[in-house]
Amino acid sequence: MSFLDRFKKAIGRTTSQDPFVADLIEALSAERVHFDATQRFLHSHDASVFDEGNAGPVCFPITTQEVQEIMQIAQQYSRPVVARGAGTGLAGGAIPLGEPAVIAMTKMNKILEIDIDNRVAWVEPGVINLDLSIHLQQYGYHFAPDPSSQQVCTIGGNVANNSGGPHCLAYGVTDAHVLALEVILPDGEMAVIGGLEPEPEGLDLRGAFIGSEGTLGITTKIGVRITKTPPDVRTLLLSFSSMRDAAQTVSAVIAAGIVPAAMEVMDQRITNAVESFVGAGYPIDAAAVLLVEVEGLIDGTEIEASHIREIGFKHGATNIRVADSEQERELLWKGRKTAFGAIAQIAPDYYLHDTVVPRSSLADVLEKIDEVAERYELIVMNVFHAGDGNLHPLLLFDAREEGMLEKVHAAGAEIMRISLDAGGVLSGEHGIGIEKQAYMNELFTDEDLNHQNRLRYAFDPDCRSNPGKVLPAGHSCADIQALKKVPEGIWG
Amino acid sequence: MVDLKIGIEELNTCVQCGLCLPHCPTFRITGEEAMSPRGRIRLMQEIQMNDRPITKEAVDSFDTCIQCRGCEPACPSGVPYGSLIEQTKSTLVEKKYLLPKWQQIPFFFLTRPRLLRFFTRLLVVAKKIHLLPNRFAMPENIPIWDKPLRESGNDVYLFTGCVMDAWQRETHRSSKRVLEHLGFGVTPTGDRIPCCGALHDHAGLMQSAKDISQKVIRSLSENELPILVDSAGCGAALKEYGHLLGTDEANRFSARVFDIHEWVAEHLDVLQSPAKLPISVIVQDPCHLRHVQESHEAVRLVLEPFVETLIDLNDDGLCCGAGGAFSLFQPALASQARERKVAGIRAQSHDVVASANPGCMLHLQQVGVNIKHPMEIIDEALSRGIQI
Repeated sequence: MSFLDRFKKAIGRTTSQDPFVADLIEALSAERVHFDATQRFLHSHDASVFDEGNAGPVCFPITTQEVQEIMQIAQQYSRPVVARGAGTGLAGGAIPLGEPAVIAMTKMNKILEIDIDNRVAWVEPGVINLDLSIHLQQYGYHFAPDPSSQQVCTIGGNVANNSGGPHCLAYGVTDAHVLALEVILPDGEMAVIGGLEPEPEGLDLRGAFIGSEGTLGITTKIGVRITKTPPDVRTLLLSFSSMRDAAQTVSAVIAAGIVPAAMEVMDQRITNAVESFVGAGYPIDAAAVLLVEVEGLIDGTEIEASHIREIGFKHGATNIRVADSEQERELLWKGRKTAFGAIAQIAPDYYLHDTVVPRSSLADVLEKIDEVAERYELIVMNVFHAGDGNLHPLLLFDAREEGMLEKVHAAGAEIMRISLDAGGVLSGEHGIGIEKQAYMNELFTDEDLNHQNRLRYAFDPDCRSNPGKVLPAGHSCADIQALKKVPEGIWG
Repeated sequence: MVDLKIGIEELNTCVQCGLCLPHCPTFRITGEEAMSPRGRIRLMQEIQMNDRPITKEAVDSFDTCIQCRGCEPACPSGVPYGSLIEQTKSTLVEKKYLLPKWQQIPFFFLTRPRLLRFFTRLLVVAKKIHLLPNRFAMPENIPIWDKPLRESGNDVYLFTGCVMDAWQRETHRSSKRVLEHLGFGVTPTGDRIPCCGALHDHAGLMQSAKDISQKVIRSLSENELPILVDSAGCGAALKEYGHLLGTDEANRFSARVFDIHEWVAEHLDVLQSPAKLPISVIVQDPCHLRHVQESHEAVRLVLEPFVETLIDLNDDGLCCGAGGAFSLFQPALASQARERKVAGIRAQSHDVVASANPGCMLHLQQVGVNIKHPMEIIDEALSRGIQI
């Protein structure tokens, strides 16, 4: 900040006329509450392809108490709030609707305590997922959920979306790794959910809170389970001449009683894009590649790896390569985890879908998705967590083309229906956000949704915490259309 | 409405995935979207394509970029961030949003070596009597009078630059001796080529940078000698002349430029098992060597035979905050970036830190880090004689 800015701040020139903002500044500080058009614009969207929302003042708290004060002030002025981590969400969960105060948790990024005896780490929600694992290396531990965006996404965001990742096949997704949460409820009350005891007293509300996408309150401190890093890891790269062979290999491996740490499939298009970025030696002529990782004691991984090789060859693998070094392994994973970003080499925009289907119907569903893409004349690329049937079809497009976005959303809707018809669910790990609200009716009955809404009411009776998300119109407390209206010039 | 003069295709290579965020020093310090490459590109897109007005906050967002380009290798989409921000800053300066005329004065001196040395002397005196603010990074031991480097042969050019030749000429002397030791006759470019234009380009004075680069190319085109550079920032700029000017001549010129470590690494075999200095050295990678030239491994290769222990610095690949003139214009951010770096340095026991860029050296020296240019360390090792 220049001297002039500091001077202006000192004489109060930047204080807003709006008493809501003025109170927020009073509670935090002028440096940590932004309400100008530029800052609000930058916080009006996340990494998804949905229309921008309207951010109100953007707050950067650094303590639990400050989060509490923001919530209290918001309640006092009946204003909504939305929490935000690194803004990498793909379902629009952090898109602000109804000009809420945006509570950016990125400055609350301290690892508070590592308790090896209890295998727990206490962290603030703004800690970057990978930073925690890197910090834990010295103890021989890591944090198991590893979303592809782990180098940037925050643990608070992981909790909000109950995030998964390649290695969640063996270890379970985020909710299996959260022991306790300190949360601020929408009325400003602080609560601790869960605890270190194996059987915490009373109702276990962790399941309700984790994955609630910020609709029940805001996490300010998280006690996460840390996982011992296994002594041996083997990474196999299997090439196939058809996607069907790859999908069937995945089913066969699980059917054989092996649960690898991770099983990831990429099709030829995405493999080519990734290979040109990382140069990890991915085969660019294979129709599909399957990345399998087994972990554990050396003897065990050896046996499992050789089993997987057998199964692979039996199901038509054209080539199987085992990573020779840690460096090679890291490169292969770097490729897999940057896959989404790498597609800009092909088209300027992408819509990354997230559905889950039963493993046994993977091959059929993928073929149907190809048909949809062909019908809509879209490029589709597939990269997915094959082991748990979590599909991520990527639709590539250029949003500047007239009518393109509508076309993409229509194709997305069809893909969703195909997955539901196959016995799947709406989202594997990205959450519902605003992306899949409209489809909630197709998976859940009215009664289901009413119950979900009642749970939400219990925490947030005024519907101020991330309004307009998850539950569809008619079942949610706020009408989404009303929230999208633009009250211009309030902040000036 | 302002045209930033950035190609739409270039802007559209960013899909806003956010994978760059942790690799950006200013985002790491502040956690703010406005201080991240994604946020900055988003603003460029909106200004360029949707006529978003350029507010003070938007200008701040661009102006706080250190231009370390750590985001570029992290970007799976290959967004050419460096050229996007340079073009943006250039337009902002042109439209008078950034860098008012009085702030452009120092850049005038960079291309006038005699004046620069004259003012350096004044600054040395001013510093001695505490007339300069503390944030003004300047080496303590600049001699009031110093002879320029002499030519020792015609095998390679040694690019001496502007501030570095005025303030850190000893480093050039070391580089020259090392090259001579390897059997090369060295022609220092000296006052003939006063400046490479990197600082101009980073500050948004793109036209000046282009003018300077054309002069540099002309002055060094009488022969095809390789041009060796011991400043990572200058080396990166010279290697990007092809991109800056977009001419065949400039591309040919850039192909002749080598970071001195790349060159020395290729010719180390001339030396017979040198005596190692009994020191442990932390290697601090300058951003423009690591992210732009991508030749930081060469520093390790050349240092390895000369020192007892080499230590990789655990810095998350982040910048130290020097960023050419950045530490002068954004002192608060620059010193926060430095704190992170220094904490990493202090966490490991070492004798000296090696950094191949004059800006990093000055910035880190300011807080008492014992830092040397790799060439100075090798020069010292060589001066002790070779074991046979």
